[in-house]
Amino acid sequence: MELNLPAAVHEEIEQLRDFGRSTIRPLGIERDKIGSPTPPDHEFFKTVLKRGLSKDYSSEDTRGLIGTNVLRILQANENAYWDRGVASSLPGPGLGAGPVMGMGTPEQRKRYMSIFGDPDNPKWGAFAMTEPSAGSDVAAIKTRAVKDGDDWILTGQKLFSANADRADWIVTWATVDPSLGRAGHRAFMLEKGMPGFSPPIPERKMGIKAYASASFSMDQVRVPAANLLGGEEHYASRAGFKGAMKTFNATRPSIAANAVGMARACLDEALKFAEETGNIKKPRMQDRLETMRRKIRSAWLMCLRAAWLADREEENIVEASMCKATAAEVAMQVTSLGMELLGLEGVRGDHLIEKLYRDVKAMDIVEGTGQIQRVIMARTLVDLPRD
Amino acid sequence: MIDFTIDESDELIRNTVARFAEDHIAAHFRDFESARQVPDAVINAWESLGLNGLELPDELGGSDSSMMTRALVNEALGAVDAGAALALDRIGAAVYPLLEMASTAEIREIITPLLAESSRRALLVYVPDGRVESEGKTCSGTMPFVHADHADLVVCLDRQRAWTIDTGFEFDKVRGSGLRAAAPSSLTFRNAPIRHYWENTKGAALSLARARIYYASLLLGVIRKSAEFSREYAKERVVFGKPVAHHQAMAFLITDMNTAVTSARLQIQYACLAGANRVEAAASAFAETAEQAAYIGPNGVQILGGVGFMQDYPVEKYMREARALGLLLGGIDAAKDDAETSLAAYQPIIAGVL
Repeated sequence: MELNLPAAVHEEIEQLRDFGRSTIRPLGIERDKIGSPTPPDHEFFKTVLKRGLSKDYSSEDTRGLIGTNVLRILQANENAYWDRGVASSLPGPGLGAGPVMGMGTPEQRKRYMSIFGDPDNPKWGAFAMTEPSAGSDVAAIKTRAVKDGDDWILTGQKLFSANADRADWIVTWATVDPSLGRAGHRAFMLEKGMPGFSPPIPERKMGIKAYASASFSMDQVRVPAANLLGGEEHYASRAGFKGAMKTFNATRPSIAANAVGMARACLDEALKFAEETGNIKKPRMQDRLETMRRKIRSAWLMCLRAAWLADREEENIVEASMCKATAAEVAMQVTSLGMELLGLEGVRGDHLIEKLYRDVKAMDIVEGTGQIQRVIMARTLVDLPRD
Repeated sequence: MIDFTIDESDELIRNTVARFAEDHIAAHFRDFESARQVPDAVINAWESLGLNGLELPDELGGSDSSMMTRALVNEALGAVDAGAALALDRIGAAVYPLLEMASTAEIREIITPLLAESSRRALLVYVPDGRVESEGKTCSGTMPFVHADHADLVVCLDRQRAWTIDTGFEFDKVRGSGLRAAAPSSLTFRNAPIRHYWENTKGAALSLARARIYYASLLLGVIRKSAEFSREYAKERVVFGKPVAHHQAMAFLITDMNTAVTSARLQIQYACLAGANRVEAAASAFAETAEQAAYIGPNGVQILGGVGFMQDYPVEKYMREARALGLLLGGIDAAKDDAETSLAAYQPIIAGVL
């Protein structure tokens, strides 16, 4: 057993750290005050691409150095430390990367992933599953896909899709027949400008304001057969639903790592505050800070373990859900303790810890709530039936 | 590298110990508890494994084992009977002050006669709170609980010092909230002559850190077993037409207990690997394990309901012992105090550097 980072990876994170301090955090604080996402034509996005800080690790061979998933969570941790909202706004395929790379045909992978290469022309992809009546219960999605000749006709509504307002394509989940349940699910590549696809509108959020969580509707959107992700053959038996779940599996440790990064940011700010106010030696203060650090460590070790298992292509169902459920709760607990340390300074609403307190709540909701993670773990641990 | 693989040699030792515990202890732990001892046959079987003083260098009769090996051995034993584990491991955590503070010649002098006979035992006593005072060449005081009723060598440890005593003390039987197979006693020193004495704050802190890993990993075994046993029970027992475990309130409790065990294990493993921050990491690991034990122990009983309260099932024993082990070495409070000392010198962690 070993828990060390190769020097090259360490250097890469140090670079992220410099950029985070100089650019990501100030931008995150600015967008939080303004209350809306960073506009897509903001110079920041070109800067990010030129610095190579938005690369997609899923398409890189990093196995000689460190596993892809471990590297991804290191990046997720450090980025979120500086600002989770800004980190989620970075150009690239976003959550769409998993399904496109995991389910897409070679042609689809090339077509949809090749748009991200130009540093002067930031591009986004997106992923849309959640609906007004289907959040955690993803099997209950109502967006319909009806075959019409060689095309598909999509009708329905999607909520809270990250960066959908600026995305060239959105991996959009729909059902061909609600009576088939999960087996009826299909993923379509919905493209900007398709007739009937209303431009996604960013929602107003409590926190993580630097990126858009956008909602949109589809009214009889005609989608060519070539946009069915993976092609017809991919959806034999119940593989459709499993495709979506597979992407969640790969992303849970990343969301958990985001939460760890935010919790770390809070701990560092809390320590700074305790030092500055001369309270650091007070037993009650120390007790809280110790608890923060210890709980963050547990959550981070769980993330590393889940990502390490994914890199070994070993089952990580329980571990991925465990780190997601734990890290989100820890981050909430840590930022709440941070507010407690600040006292009324926190209630003023202009301290970073107060922002983190609002930001982290989302981590226990996105990609499956803490309760859903427990349901998933219970299916393995105690054979909890699916229905 | 980030690699959670357990080394092959460690895996081998762990499996050997787990098999031993299953073959020699599992079916009899209630008998050991009533008798307040482990029978000679089991002791002989344990001795034949050659696992006493694991951490000692080869030339002194040990295996030069790492704390990771120790943690795996103790988890395996603790999962079957932590009391028996303490009774069998007759060198135990007493070895750490020797390794951290004594010279090789001193260790040899102290340890050789102990290892030579299977009836000889060493005992670590942590005395940071003035219960036992050393004054010049002797020490006096009483420990209300120790997990042995005899010892040929007592190693006392406080925050700056360690010393050994081999006479001038007596054990008095106490009932013991748990760990009864280890013959719980109180221990009184009456002007007990000090044989060896070391003063070394760093060495004392490192000794305590290793002792914390030792007891935390035994405790990990207890809580792992409590979580597993209650989980299996909940899968079998049917209430309101379905297994207990399939009622969501219970399913969530069971998953949270599993997460709590994992949290403790990862902290212990991290402490085993820690270098410069070993003292803090071990203190954190102990605090985390003891805290999770206070959650798991009673909930293990809760899941079984009425029968959990009865001594026909082991969960009540796990609950008692989870609490008892968590109170050793000053318990959670002392561990948190030690973990906190590094906060003032805290350097912001970056991702991956924990």
